[in-house]
Amino acid sequence: MIMDSFETLDFSVGDKVALIMLKRPEVRNAFNTTMRDDLFQVIETIKADYAITGSIIYGSGKDFCAGADLTEFGTAPSQSIARTIRWERDLWSLFLNNPKPMIAAVHGNCIGSGFEIALLCDVIIASYNARFSMPEARLGLIAAAGGTQTLPRSVGPSKAISIFSSPDSITSQQAHSMGIVSKVVSIKRLMDSARDQATYLSNLRPELIAACKFAVNRGCSLPLNQGLLAETRSALRLMKTQ
Amino acid sequence: MSKRPVLIEKKGTIVFLILNRPKQSNLVDEELAWAIKDSCRFINEDSSIRVMILTGTETCFSTGRQTFPDSMPPYPDDWINKMQTAASIAKVNIPTIAAINGDALDHGLELALACDLRVADWNARLGFRDLSRGLFPWDGGTQRLSRIVGRSTALDLLLTSRILTAKKALAVGLINHVTRQGNALNYAVNLASSISELAPIAMRYTKEAIHRGLDMPLDQGLKLEADLSFLLHGTTDRSEGIDSFLTKRDPYFLGQ
Repeated sequence: MIMDSFETLDFSVGDKVALIMLKRPEVRNAFNTTMRDDLFQVIETIKADYAITGSIIYGSGKDFCAGADLTEFGTAPSQSIARTIRWERDLWSLFLNNPKPMIAAVHGNCIGSGFEIALLCDVIIASYNARFSMPEARLGLIAAAGGTQTLPRSVGPSKAISIFSSPDSITSQQAHSMGIVSKVVSIKRLMDSARDQATYLSNLRPELIAACKFAVNRGCSLPLNQGLLAETRSALRLMKTQ
Repeated sequence: MSKRPVLIEKKGTIVFLILNRPKQSNLVDEELAWAIKDSCRFINEDSSIRVMILTGTETCFSTGRQTFPDSMPPYPDDWINKMQTAASIAKVNIPTIAAINGDALDHGLELALACDLRVADWNARLGFRDLSRGLFPWDGGTQRLSRIVGRSTALDLLLTSRILTAKKALAVGLINHVTRQGNALNYAVNLASSISELAPIAMRYTKEAIHRGLDMPLDQGLKLEADLSFLLHGTTDRSEGIDSFLTKRDPYFLGQ
């Protein structure tokens, strides 16, 4: 077991599966710029390390992640610098372009950027006590960790707007019936369930998982004929590597 | 009751677009189409409005479809463009709610599908009867329906001309809420009031990011979202929202 400790998270690898534990429990694992940089490093490592077949992201303490750390807002030097940094440290594309499966194991509050991080993963497993919400518009913000793109792609535009405009959170079961969460389990079973899923996926041919992620993420917003073409190309390439 | 085909009523920051031809089941004809389009333009130009509710007078929402004029017009495209009112509703930049107080069928359902959220009365029925009548939807029905309920439910509803009860429509995701009889508008007003307390520019941008983003590859959508988010950096609403959160008070948004 390799273990690495960052300021905002713990990173470890056991049985080929990487575990990322968000570690700011005193602020319900609020996402800040340090966490962004820590995650960036960790996910680059996961992508680069052939010994790692997949990863699980989860929260320490009572919550998954209660959103962005608002105490940091307004500290960006300027809009244009913030915009440059956004593309230099493009963490969200790194999530989406990681060819290895990512599982979010969610308990407690999963709010704003926390919800968006979960949506950037391939599978969300949630405990019964998990609560999901997008409060950005109450704060004069829009979701900016991909939420306006990932959520409508999984639940359609109407349910997405309903979630973005509602002051209430949704339960794990509601998220499950909408197709956001793939499995709801007891909090005791949460990590085991996520590990089972990761182990199952780590036994598949990694290039199949990578091709599948790419085809779905890219294809779900292409005209159908182009999506089909991308799928065919992947299939042909995979036949050759069989 | 006024004879105008569409009534526009503004109450605070909520605007009501009320289809007012109950005797004709609010069938969208040329006059009604023109009135809806004109109203949508008015709504987009009034920045004090934060939510729109589309509904009908009495217990009528909108049903039926205007067929092509008897003698084919010289420019059929122009005729159809003139009649495409759902397109104008979809272009309204604030959140829109259809309060479906009666049947929403055919072109009427296309109007409802162009809204962001749909709330329907228990008694309301929804569906496209077009194919069974030898007609074809032409105001976004085939496109918006499949994006909202998925491809197979959309094909099922269009091909079979099946009409759904409100309860069934909720089950397939065609509407967001069912209310007890006569209560769709009240429910929509409550929903609209709660939305009107949100930061208005942020809500408009969220709507834009969702709808335009779905038409783009995911990586382009992420760029659009980020750019809209940086545009918000300059708003006083953003400072107000963050300050109110940090000082644990209710925000008051000016829309600036």
